[in-house]
Amino acid sequence: MSQTSTILSPELLARLEKMELISRKIFRGRMKGERRSPRKGQSVEFADFRNYVPGDDLRFVDWNTYARLEKLFLKMFLEEEDLHFYALIDASGSMDFGEPTKLQYAVQLAAALGFIGLIRGDRVKIETVGQSPGRAAPIFRGRHSLWRMLDHLEQIRPDETTLLTEGVKNFCLRNSGKGIIVLISDLMDKTGYEPALRYLVSQDMDIYVIQVLSAEELDPELQGDLRLVDSEDGDEAEITVSAPLMKRYQRTLSAFVDSARDFCTRRGIAYLLARNEVPVEDLVTGYLRTRGLVR
Amino acid sequence: MWPDFGWILNWWQWAILAAIPPAIILLYFLKLKRQPLEVPSTYLWHKSIEDLHVNSIWQRLRRNLLLFLQLLLLVLIILALLQPSWKGRQLTGERFIFLVDNSASMQTTDVGTSRLEEAKAKAGELIDRMKSGDVGMLVSFSDSARVEQMFTDDRHRLRRALDAIRPTQRSTSLLEALRVASGLANPGRSAEDITDFQVAEALPADLYIFSDGGFAPPNFSLGNLEPIYVPIGEPTAANVGIMMLSVRPSETNPELIQAFARLKNFSSKDASVALDLLLNDQLIDTDELQIAAGEEGSVVFPLGAVGAGKLELKARTSSDDLALDDVAAVVVNPPRQANVLLVTTGNELLELALQTDSTKAIARVSVEPPAFLQKKDYLARAAAGAYDLVIYDRCAPKEMPKANTLFIGSLPPQGDWSAGPAVGGPVIINVETGHPLLQWMDLGNVVLVEGTPLNPPEAGNELIDSDAGPMFAIAPREGFEDAVLGFVLIGEEEGEGGKTERYVGTNWPVRQSFPVFILNMFDYLGGGRGTLKAESVRPGQPVVVEAPAAGKNVRVRTPGGKTTDLTTGRSGKFSFTGTEELGVYEAQANGETFRRFSVNLFDDAESEIRPKEKIEIGWVPVEGKSSWEVARQEIWKGLLLLGLAVLLFEWYIYNRRVYL
Repeated sequence: MSQTSTILSPELLARLEKMELISRKIFRGRMKGERRSPRKGQSVEFADFRNYVPGDDLRFVDWNTYARLEKLFLKMFLEEEDLHFYALIDASGSMDFGEPTKLQYAVQLAAALGFIGLIRGDRVKIETVGQSPGRAAPIFRGRHSLWRMLDHLEQIRPDETTLLTEGVKNFCLRNSGKGIIVLISDLMDKTGYEPALRYLVSQDMDIYVIQVLSAEELDPELQGDLRLVDSEDGDEAEITVSAPLMKRYQRTLSAFVDSARDFCTRRGIAYLLARNEVPVEDLVTGYLRTRGLVR
Repeated sequence: MWPDFGWILNWWQWAILAAIPPAIILLYFLKLKRQPLEVPSTYLWHKSIEDLHVNSIWQRLRRNLLLFLQLLLLVLIILALLQPSWKGRQLTGERFIFLVDNSASMQTTDVGTSRLEEAKAKAGELIDRMKSGDVGMLVSFSDSARVEQMFTDDRHRLRRALDAIRPTQRSTSLLEALRVASGLANPGRSAEDITDFQVAEALPADLYIFSDGGFAPPNFSLGNLEPIYVPIGEPTAANVGIMMLSVRPSETNPELIQAFARLKNFSSKDASVALDLLLNDQLIDTDELQIAAGEEGSVVFPLGAVGAGKLELKARTSSDDLALDDVAAVVVNPPRQANVLLVTTGNELLELALQTDSTKAIARVSVEPPAFLQKKDYLARAAAGAYDLVIYDRCAPKEMPKANTLFIGSLPPQGDWSAGPAVGGPVIINVETGHPLLQWMDLGNVVLVEGTPLNPPEAGNELIDSDAGPMFAIAPREGFEDAVLGFVLIGEEEGEGGKTERYVGTNWPVRQSFPVFILNMFDYLGGGRGTLKAESVRPGQPVVVEAPAAGKNVRVRTPGGKTTDLTTGRSGKFSFTGTEELGVYEAQANGETFRRFSVNLFDDAESEIRPKEKIEIGWVPVEGKSSWEVARQEIWKGLLLLGLAVLLFEWYIYNRRVYL
């Protein structure tokens, strides 16, 4: 249970148990689950009638209708399938900042969402951007997989150097199925986050982008003459802190966030900016609920 | 006012000093210790400082208040080390004597309002620059010097005294001003105080002379005085002045009166002068005169017979900087009423001729019997010269009076006058009409009943000659003239019964020539001729005026209308010294003007308005100086204080991390 407490507190787990993941699209799953499927199947939920054709399973003939109309109709039921839930965590060096670090925050968030998925019998897969293309991530299903999932999350270290675009491309190649994909990243990639998001869009998934930024990025408290060193590529920027520079930084930051939100909105991607100071439970039970990811 | 750095550094030292601030800037950037700080990503920072990179070095300068403050501090320290001083704020020395020329030439208008105002402005500038504790003395000088303010350290008093200096129209003499000025610098040489002998140490003083230099070089040893000559005026000043105006009889024909004027061009260019001659403010003649540069010109105006009045000459030129010498005035005095005494036993013909309106205007005639000659009154007045003319009709005094005399039918008791025996019916054969007494007279119709041929003294003239001998003669006596008629107008003889009978001795009194003779007599013997002499003095010079009667109060009215009341002395003369203004003065007694005199500049030295570049005092040349040495007022203390303030401010900025 000690692991649980580091990532997910029991109180949070208790609250998450009542929730479920919502997909705005209806996808086909691999196994029977608790999700409606576009496929007609054997759930208890009625979907439609159709004329009987020879060879149909006689178990689904609506005999009551036949009694009234003397025609054979086949009752069709919605197939309930499992949901594919992917969480893609950016574990680059830049995520190792903040209190808690952005990576911790991302892991916590992924754990919370994954837990919800596990509870509802969804197929949960948590990957990092830098995961090697050849190695597939484990798939978790069912409440009993929680500990495995948490174990897996524990292994994530902020030492990946794969570019966001490259990582997302690999992810898309590995996971061609449909479902919900939640990308948790700070989007601070010098080559740009847009190609990565385009790859995601091409996957016809229900895409969520949660941009995690730390307080020191949103409101940096810097003073004096500084040589800023990039945590990922060691790039340096010399600045002399002054009021105009700080204003300019704020403008750049808001332009950056706005453009990301704009980019996402135009492509049907749900975008959410998360501060690492906001507790994960608040984010999940509050913001994500209003945004429709969970119910 | 720019600070004076005294140029204590040579060029390479200056170069080193100038190199320090850039070096600091360089070091500032080279040694800038930026603290390394790991950030998630420099992505946003690079974007933020992207456009700042374009002019980053200036941006850094602009953003870095601390560097600026350090540079400012450095500059202030360097300046303080250079010991800068303000130039021209204060005078060197401790004692100053300001001599301000207020003579006539200082009214030239070539600089500003006038040269005097310019001189006052310059002197005021120097007074303002006196340090506290300095003492100054102010003297104005023209032909005399006047201490406007004794030595004082009160600059306001000096300024007030300076403002109070008024222009005069006098000539210039520096000598007296120097004597006055040297009192403090050279004790024992004060001109004012005869008890001033050397009791104190001689104190040197700076002697500032504000003048155009239009004075004769004074022969004076300056001693402890350090002369500084401040020339006032422009060398291009132009002036044409009237140097002389007089009224005098024509040399060829003394009866014709002429006004004679002499003008001089003091400019460096030829001048055309338009002249207006006014008599009692009425224009009577004009003329035009071309005068070459530096040359003189003269003009003669024929006046004819001019009565009494003010004759004024005005000169007009296109450019003239001194107005004082463009106007000159002379006075043609009215004939003074002659004081005439007629001593006669009775002569209606003569008395009638003396009582006409014309004679009354020019003479006051009193008639007395011969017994009057014995009286004290007569004796006193005759001896004092109270009479201008005494007519002795068939009588003679014991002593000749101090007056001109006319003897009718008698001979002066003094002098070598003699006469022959009386002859009946002498015929006039020659009349000396050239003599003023007989001018314009024709005596051809005059018949004489009886006459005694006269024998005048050697210096005498025979004026009427007859076939029997001279009937009228005149001879000088101690500045007076005695005229003697050898025939009577009305005679007396003993008739029947011892009765005195009167007879007419000649038909002359009924002829036209007789009144003319009376007028001529008053004119010539009564003192009327002297009135033509026009008196003119220079400004400031005294005028001696003879009052009509001794002991009377007289009033003198200046051209400006000011009046001065004077009391004449026993001699009946008084001296008037208030001749400051140019123009015509009037002397009045009992409200009547009895005498006029004029004051004119007529001074080559004052009309020569081109300022001298240097002057000589005691054979030592003093060069003109328009700028003067001043004390260095050092300001390094202030700079250091400012530097301290900058340092404190920098410290505050550093600690408060104030963003610009």
